[in-house]
Amino acid sequence: MNNFLRNLTATQQVGALFLVMFGILSVVTIWAFVRNLREHASDDPESEARILEAKRFWGLLKTSWMMASVFWIGWVLGDTVATVLFAIVGFFALREFITLSPTRRGDHRSLVLAFFVVLPLQFWIVGSKHFDLFTVFIPVYVFLALPVVSALANDPQRFLERNAKLQWGIMVCVYGMSHVPALLLLDFPGYRDKGAFLVFFLVFVVQTCMLVQHLLGRRFPHKPVAPQVSQSFQWTSWLAGVAAGGLAGGLLTFITPFKPGQALGMALLACVAGSLGHLVMKALKRDRGITSWGMQGMSVTGAGGLLDRVDALCFAAPVFFHSVRWYFGL
Amino acid sequence: MLAKLMSFLLLGIVRFLTGSQARWYGCPPKAEQRIYFANHQSHADMVLIWAALPEELRSITRPIAAKDYWTKTPFRQWITTAVFNAVYVDRQATPARPPAPLAAEPVGVLEALATAASDADTAMAGGPDPSPEAPPRAPTPEELRAALPESDPLAPLVRALESGDSIVIFPEGTRGHGDEPQPFKSGLFKLAQMFPQVVLVPAWINNVQRVMPKGEVVPVPILCSVTFGEPVQLEAGEERRPFLDRARRAVIALREV
Repeated sequence: MNNFLRNLTATQQVGALFLVMFGILSVVTIWAFVRNLREHASDDPESEARILEAKRFWGLLKTSWMMASVFWIGWVLGDTVATVLFAIVGFFALREFITLSPTRRGDHRSLVLAFFVVLPLQFWIVGSKHFDLFTVFIPVYVFLALPVVSALANDPQRFLERNAKLQWGIMVCVYGMSHVPALLLLDFPGYRDKGAFLVFFLVFVVQTCMLVQHLLGRRFPHKPVAPQVSQSFQWTSWLAGVAAGGLAGGLLTFITPFKPGQALGMALLACVAGSLGHLVMKALKRDRGITSWGMQGMSVTGAGGLLDRVDALCFAAPVFFHSVRWYFGL
Repeated sequence: MLAKLMSFLLLGIVRFLTGSQARWYGCPPKAEQRIYFANHQSHADMVLIWAALPEELRSITRPIAAKDYWTKTPFRQWITTAVFNAVYVDRQATPARPPAPLAAEPVGVLEALATAASDADTAMAGGPDPSPEAPPRAPTPEELRAALPESDPLAPLVRALESGDSIVIFPEGTRGHGDEPQPFKSGLFKLAQMFPQVVLVPAWINNVQRVMPKGEVVPVPILCSVTFGEPVQLEAGEERRPFLDRARRAVIALREV
């Protein structure tokens, strides 16, 4: 089996990976569907809670399908398309972020700059593999350019607050997100055309960590660490989640250019960054008095915001990317 | 064909930038004759409501465009007639009256409506209906329609409603700047009197002013939504001001939904 996989070309290997992924998703979906069919009769509070839980699970499943499809399309159509896809995800995430961060009229030009100049430029820099510029473009140049534009609008009211919000949104949604396609383009020696594995590795371990943390937190509720920020964040389930993510990373060594120990370490790092980033975003949401970044109470689609799903990735990707580059001297 | 393409393109842009989500709270989207009345904060209000309506309703719902601006160039005329299927309203239609404070902006659509009643409104705010000729019985809707002079700014709207279309109006007249919409002008009341069978649907447009504030040309992406509420009815014998205030409250109430 292992030999057979090794003898496949890189393309075939990645294809097999997607086959496995879609297969697992299909099985889980069918299982959830069948289970849903059974639970429709009674309406006591317990079953109502179960229905709510099932709904949440469907939401999660839907996101997984969506993400898997996005990755698949990105992989099929090549690196450029993948980069563009992630740029679009970043765009929608930033749109959600800005919608819920009150701006004033004077911010209009900076917003235009952020959406239509900074975002495309950042992803273009990724696509053209200018990795040195890519890491400093937003923290150094945009950091100055945005407040300059805001200042020229001649509106000092809440200036720091408004600009900080915009900078934050860009750091998370554009800078963070742009590190995911950057992984596709990293050139490991002897690992050509397998960037997709690295992206998959990152997404998989982070999602595993989040999922395990979520499920364990529900199953064995402990005292929340910061109840004002998150009712569900507890050290035990967090540790378990990170450990599970790390373990998943260790088991996935064979698809990465890492040795088992390295894979474990990288996965742990990504999981810590991602889960803590998720917690930070929760604090932001609490501050705004909302539960999700999507349009409030408008869950026509049943899903919350896009940013709720990708925020962990936005924090994990830069940390993962930089530590990989630093450790392997790429 | 070209118009279809253009509307497709416009829809794409609006959805990309704002999500243009419709939230039907008080009533379902339904192909009955309606007057949608909404708060007015931005040029883009008209486009957003247009984009938020489902395809089937979009074709029978007509927004209102200021004639002098929107017929100035062939392109503007084309886009308002072919794409939006707008009702033109003449802003300078009432020379006999003192000119109402017209806003300079072109799409601030309902100044004309405002003109018709602004003087009466300011004089009688909160008071009983003036009705100088005070007929012994209330005139029927048909009589009201027949009595409307051809030069009245409401005339094109009346014609559109008579032909069975739904319309979108902004009863504030001009774009508001504060958080709350300004008091409604009486055009809505008159239309409600003339067309008692038409359903009056309040709508709250959220966030649009942030997409494209006055004086800017490039819109920014911010999620917007249009909330449609429970229809409002003109009660028998209801006075103008109480009705307009009630309608305004119905719009404001949708903000919290």
